[in-house]
Amino acid sequence: MNGVHDMGGMHGFGPVLAEKNEPVFHETWEGRVFGMSGQLSRFGGNIDARRFAIEQIRPDRYLRLSYYERWFERALRYCVETGLISARERAAIDSGKAELDNTHVKVDRAPAPVHSDYARPLASTALFAVGERVRAKLINPTTHTRLPRYARGKIGVIIAEHGGHVFPDSNAIGKGEDPQRLYTVCFTARELWGDAANPNDTVSLDLWEPYLERV
Amino acid sequence: MAHDHDHDHDHDHQDAPADAALRVKALETILARRGYIDQAEIDRMVDHFQNEVGPRNGAKVVAKAWTDPAYRKRLLDNATAAVAELGFSGRQGEHLIAIENTAKVHNLVVCTLCSCYPVPVLGLPPVWYKSFAYRSRAVIDPRGVLADFGLGIPDDVEVRVWDSTAELRYLVVPERPAGTEKLSEEQLAELVTRDSMIGTARASAPK
Repeated sequence: MNGVHDMGGMHGFGPVLAEKNEPVFHETWEGRVFGMSGQLSRFGGNIDARRFAIEQIRPDRYLRLSYYERWFERALRYCVETGLISARERAAIDSGKAELDNTHVKVDRAPAPVHSDYARPLASTALFAVGERVRAKLINPTTHTRLPRYARGKIGVIIAEHGGHVFPDSNAIGKGEDPQRLYTVCFTARELWGDAANPNDTVSLDLWEPYLERV
Repeated sequence: MAHDHDHDHDHDHQDAPADAALRVKALETILARRGYIDQAEIDRMVDHFQNEVGPRNGAKVVAKAWTDPAYRKRLLDNATAAVAELGFSGRQGEHLIAIENTAKVHNLVVCTLCSCYPVPVLGLPPVWYKSFAYRSRAVIDPRGVLADFGLGIPDDVEVRVWDSTAELRYLVVPERPAGTEKLSEEQLAELVTRDSMIGTARASAPK
């Protein structure tokens, strides 16, 4: 989806400000959200669906929330959607109260281990070869994709092939893993940004076969 | 909204959501009381990322690559396996790729779409890596971003940006600083900073 999360190439966010001796978590609650999210992933979903959930936070809100606030918003929404908590409990949480809704039926589902290896062997042969020029397709899906806007329609060269990987566009919306061949495609900075870019510079992206077409 | 008579009305923000710490605590409490999550496991996760996983892991990998040519080759050929040799593996590190800086090439890693990061070797990302400023500018103005970090890259050096759009995670192997020939692997690892493995810094000069 053409969300505000797809921010490569945007202007206006100012300089990158690094903090000296930065703690891993700035607030205790950030670590709790991080730890909770890890355990919640055992109740279903996958990394692509979780990314898509963050992307669906309204753009104006996305930009206002901090990183772990976005994670918390996702966790809350997930808990309601999967029935782990009731709407009434969610409302209480919004005002900071842990009030159990005794009418709520407990979800009886055993947490499943989370698999996080995304490589999937493919029987098919590769459509493209290392060294080949390809164009990233001009697409504008309203659902999850990992082809950023700034690369769409641009021509690059395949510099590596990684075999089959889970296809996020499908996996994110419950249509299965649908593994597709993954390539690293190198674009010149001039192809992406025009003649003002340094002619020596490049940007490489990891792109699945369905994102690419012959030139 | 419904009036809560147990509430101590010392402010007039009835409709404003409670602050994050209270809301997070409330969710955690409900999930724990229902038995969906284990709070002690959250404690262990937090401790793990605060004290066990971090850029010291990656620094050991880089220092070994600097001192052991056979390891360097294995790292560049298959970083996941080479990193696992040192005992580092896990989520967000299943498909690692090491990219090497040279006198002619400077690498910079970003994730414009979210904040993908090679966790088993660098730990959790710093706030700046997740910031909108970094995610938006690293691909269109990498040299400007490097300047924000005080790093000037000559025009004839190629800046290669890697946007982590899939589950591949990139680790930059910085150049070994001059004057470090006599240092041990452990001493070399001290020079390898987190930022040098993302590409926003060089490895530190020896003291």
